Amino acid sequence: MSGTAGQGEAVSLPMPTQAQDKARKRGWLFWLLLFVTTWGFSQWSFALYKALDARWIIRFPKQYELQLDTVISRLMSWLVEEASFGWFTFQQFTRFLSALVEAPYDWVRSLLIDGFSTGIGQQAVQQVPPLSWIAVIVMAMAIAAYARNARLALLAGGCFLYLALFGQWESAMVTLASVAIAVPIGVGGGLLLGILSYRVPVAERILRPLLDLMQTVPVFAYLVPILFLFGFGPVSALVATVIYAMPPMVRVSTVALKSVPEDIIEAGRMMGCTQRQLLWKVCIPTAMPSLMVGVNQVIMLSLNMVIIASMIGAGGLGYDVLTALRRLDIGGGIEAGLAIVVMAIALDRVSQAFATRNVRQRFIKGVPYHQRHPLLSTVLLVLLLTTVLGQFLPFVQSYPDDYTLSTSRYWAAGMEWINVNFFDQLEAVKTVLLTVLLLPVKRFFGGIPWAWGIIAMGLIGWRIGGWRLALMCTLMTFFLAWNGLWAKSMVTVYLCAVSVLLASVIGIPLGVWAGQSARANSIIGTVIDTLQTLPSFVYLIPVVMLFRVGDFSAMIAVVLYALAPAVRYAAHGIRSIDTEMIEAGKVSGCTSRQLLWRIKFPLATPSLLLGLNQTIMLALSMLVITALVGTRDLGQEVYIALTKANTGQGIIAGLSVAFIAIMADRIVAALARRSQQRLGLE
Amino acid sequence: MTQRIKLDCRGIWKIYGDDPGGFLARHGDKPSLGQFAQAGMVGAVRNTSVSVMEGEIFVIMGLSGSGKSTLVRCLSRLIEPTAGEVYFEGRNLLEMSEAELIDLRRRKMGMVFQHFALLPHLSVLENAAFPLEIQGVDRRTREARAREMIETVGLQGREDYYPRQLSGGQQQRVGIARSLVVEPDLWFLDEPFSALDPLIRREMQDEFLRLQSLLHKTIVFITHDFDEAIRLADRIAVMKEGVIEQIATPEELVLHPATAYVEDFTRHIPRAKVVRLHSIMSAGVPAAAYAGELPGTMTVAEAADQVEAASAPFKVLDEAGVAMGTVASRAVIDVMIGRTMT
Amino acid sequence: MKVINLLSVGLLSTALSTPVLADVESQDPIKLTTHDWTGQIITTTIMGEILQKAGYNIEYVQADYIAQFAGLKTGDLHVAMEIWETTGREAMDEATDTGKVVNLGESGMTAIEEWWYPGYMEELCPGLPDWQAMNDCAEEFATPETAPLGRYLGAPVTWGGFDEERIEALGLDFEVVHAGTDAALFAELESAYQRKAPIVLWLYSPHWAPAKYEGSYIEFPEYSVECYNDPSVGINPDAAYDCGKPVGPIWKVAWSGVEEKWPGAVAAIEAFDIDNEAMGALITQVDLDGVSVDEAVAEWLSANEETWSGWIQ
Repeated sequence: MSGTAGQGEAVSLPMPTQAQDKARKRGWLFWLLLFVTTWGFSQWSFALYKALDARWIIRFPKQYELQLDTVISRLMSWLVEEASFGWFTFQQFTRFLSALVEAPYDWVRSLLIDGFSTGIGQQAVQQVPPLSWIAVIVMAMAIAAYARNARLALLAGGCFLYLALFGQWESAMVTLASVAIAVPIGVGGGLLLGILSYRVPVAERILRPLLDLMQTVPVFAYLVPILFLFGFGPVSALVATVIYAMPPMVRVSTVALKSVPEDIIEAGRMMGCTQRQLLWKVCIPTAMPSLMVGVNQVIMLSLNMVIIASMIGAGGLGYDVLTALRRLDIGGGIEAGLAIVVMAIALDRVSQAFATRNVRQRFIKGVPYHQRHPLLSTVLLVLLLTTVLGQFLPFVQSYPDDYTLSTSRYWAAGMEWINVNFFDQLEAVKTVLLTVLLLPVKRFFGGIPWAWGIIAMGLIGWRIGGWRLALMCTLMTFFLAWNGLWAKSMVTVYLCAVSVLLASVIGIPLGVWAGQSARANSIIGTVIDTLQTLPSFVYLIPVVMLFRVGDFSAMIAVVLYALAPAVRYAAHGIRSIDTEMIEAGKVSGCTSRQLLWRIKFPLATPSLLLGLNQTIMLALSMLVITALVGTRDLGQEVYIALTKANTGQGIIAGLSVAFIAIMADRIVAALARRSQQRLGLE
Repeated sequence: MTQRIKLDCRGIWKIYGDDPGGFLARHGDKPSLGQFAQAGMVGAVRNTSVSVMEGEIFVIMGLSGSGKSTLVRCLSRLIEPTAGEVYFEGRNLLEMSEAELIDLRRRKMGMVFQHFALLPHLSVLENAAFPLEIQGVDRRTREARAREMIETVGLQGREDYYPRQLSGGQQQRVGIARSLVVEPDLWFLDEPFSALDPLIRREMQDEFLRLQSLLHKTIVFITHDFDEAIRLADRIAVMKEGVIEQIATPEELVLHPATAYVEDFTRHIPRAKVVRLHSIMSAGVPAAAYAGELPGTMTVAEAADQVEAASAPFKVLDEAGVAMGTVASRAVIDVMIGRTMT
Repeated sequence: MKVINLLSVGLLSTALSTPVLADVESQDPIKLTTHDWTGQIITTTIMGEILQKAGYNIEYVQADYIAQFAGLKTGDLHVAMEIWETTGREAMDEATDTGKVVNLGESGMTAIEEWWYPGYMEELCPGLPDWQAMNDCAEEFATPETAPLGRYLGAPVTWGGFDEERIEALGLDFEVVHAGTDAALFAELESAYQRKAPIVLWLYSPHWAPAKYEGSYIEFPEYSVECYNDPSVGINPDAAYDCGKPVGPIWKVAWSGVEEKWPGAVAAIEAFDIDNEAMGALITQVDLDGVSVDEAVAEWLSANEETWSGWIQ
């Protein structure tokens, strides 16, 4: 269906009607005019301010600035100190929630690391030791085998063995404990909210913008209020992780439930299901494969949060990365970072295997228990053996330190070698890019007067998405100016624009290549997967060593992180082109270059635009972290607020980042929709 | 006929658009097609009345968009009709509470779906037992009952398979087993064989007739395939644009199509397959030599070999077994080669 | 619970034959905060170990340096071992003013923060460490982004320091580039040091960097309160900040409730005293020689038993 429609359109493309032609010309004229005007304003705004002695042109007048941050800070202290439900205060309520989360967390921690003890502090006596490292590895393998097969079990086992071999075991178990608590909460909460918005359309309308904010407000912005409400320690980190990781689960749940085939629901109703039975026995099991995609997302995002969570007391691998890099132990940082990657790989593959799991074997009567449940029996046996043996043989209980490996020295040496031998060449590249790209773009965005910025965003919104988008863009841009964050917002936009541009220039060709060659795909896929799960801190510090503190280092880090969607969507777009189209092109005698430019690219446009959208989102989420290498953007504002424990300032700056992200998202999404419609792919 | 009416629906309307009830009222409960178009409303089912007798196979036939699926969903109250009444065993379905409806569906109704609608996470056995599971029947009882049904539809040995491991025909057998596991009185089949290959479809139709000969359910069967309708139906309702064009036995439909639309469908149908002996017999049984006796409900095609091979005519019996007329080979040949009957 | 506790105490003292524990005011754990720099973790671990030897139960809670004051005020957190005069004074004063946090005195260490350069720069810029030599070789310190001005790598903006003002007041041909975190600060130093490239940056003691890298702090005109507050004081009669940075103690603070609940512990914390040299050695051990914090602390404790046993009398 879509194929034929697309084909029809493709045929008519080279011969547009006159009306279309005119509209297209008008479109170009609009964008040209908008750009020229903006450029003019940007160039002459300073001169204009001097000539007219009107400082308001470049600075939003201080006396009209919104003092929202103080209001929010005051609200926050009211919440913490005074708010009350009558019987109990708001803070008691949040602390109660903390206790609810802390109990299972402590239990898992005891199971994996501390063992179960009676008594406290020095009087504590260990009654039951924690699981031995061997037992944990065997369990991971058993779960993988249950989810798919022996190969996956080997992968999972290998991943966990890495943790032991490289001396990351204890930290990894701390991280695993956090993930083990955050993921069920995120999945459960996400599922319930997803069900709510599936059932109640009003709830969906309220939830959607909230989810947008949860996904775009940088985590740093709400760490402080979370600390105030939930206290210091791992629980706050868990709460932050859940807030960050839950939104995709809500969205996936709603979509999954909505896409349960109508006749399955009707079948359920005709069998006389009550509403509850219909949901839990029919819809949710049917939607399970899609729901597992959401679970997978929650796991991956929880692992993305490991570093930030460790800044507020989660400990674990994230803390190891941070401390290693503080003492410039790059190798140590990379090893701990790779431990996160390795854990992500194991959890990702196993949870995906659950999503597509093949049917279990049904047991036959009369077979002994251990043969009916070989995996479970093995695990129980190993558990028993290791627990008993662990009492006498310490290496069974915990992996001996003397046998751990470290590659730290080699990393440091390699880094020094690059630094000493190639610094000048890298410096030259950097200088060129700075002068031809970064600085001009920075001047362009930095010069735009706030008033024109608001108008221009309104025009762009109107042109692309109609008056609704125009209104939204105008209000959100005004919010930036009104809160006195115009200059920092423009630095953010500039850094984001440059990074996204570079990520696309590098990523799209890689994606096209990966889309056409299976071997390229597997190599490139592994690299970008690693780049995305490897905590950015790990490469932030080497980047600073090579490129010094400043915008350029920030940009490199952002590009490395935001490359993934550009590559993935480009590859996906190329791969999902109908083979008939390609064949049609070949039959018409296209060369492979013509095939790429005339057929593949135009048809992959919607996918490329979606990739662009994701690239922008990731770039913005990463910008906040680059404040750590000294950018002067909204990310820095958020970070300053964090270190000064200023709730209001953090939330306002966080909202500003979110608004920029939401505007970019809506505009690019509208573009993608239009190009999909044009190609008849919708 | 002395059969009881099992399902009776009167004046059903199903209208899509803004405020369909108000729209209907504004136009005196009888809006015309022009008025629908003008208001931008869609009349999926318009003023339809149908009575389904106990034990009969009632086929609703129509092309896609004719409203047949909407009608059957109104009959089972899967969707709420805009107006009209539906009586099941004398009780108005549309006035039932949610609880009553659930109870009724659990005990009295079964439904088979075009795309099988099996639950992907359950095995064949669990799928077939599912209607009993939600009623809270204990595992042993419900699985025993489900095994029985699986055997009835010929899937024994596949109890532990999962839907995706089965072919389309096998999946639909599971759908049938599931819909019958509660021993419903009223059995809805919504295009049950449309998604299957032609050969399998044929096989399933035979299977369906075999089952019905065992079970004697009251059946509402939806199809877009006129041949299928003719083959299976006791009576057929032909639908077009939300309205029933004609309700009749296959024979009447072929012999006396009420509208040009119905006639279009019947034109290519071989008469011999639908015309029954009592329609072509010459009334009265004069004393003569007869080759034998044939039931009047037999189709010409079924009787053709015997009648042609015999040198003498056959007696034609009514349902009580009393001879009512005779049929000779010439009459049979007339029908077979399409010579006009007068 | 109680029975089990008693039982386990019994087990401990008999079966494992640990020294009999001193009677302490409360068995509840004292929560000591740890931050993200090694020195602070060492200080806190030393204190924690000593308190444990005195019979207290302790718990380390990882918390942000500034954000922790919220927890100290409510009693979520109990003791913070390092509040630097130079970076934490403001937050500390604000907290102690509420009466919910008390200052437990100096730790014995002195915080130094100043412009610092590696030793090899003295060849390129012979006048160092005197600040007046800086302008003669500003171009040596320049990079493409800052040329012709020299590049001075400052601390994260949140640390304050008035470096822009200092440059203005002293007429230095330098531009401040702020690092986002101190990790970035040392990454640049490491990189430059490997290549023997010019660099001048913000450094502080106690820290491992001054021990690992050979170099010196620049000598600015000496700090005085008046120099910061009064433009007329100092070399430049029209500007404040025309002098070096203040040097100040590192303080210990605690939630006010600690004094009531664990008076003995408060006495020990107040008595805690260690100097820059000892601390610098410990930090070097941990950050440069790869010794774990626990090992380094244990070693120090056994070598200095006389010192710390006096704190818990």
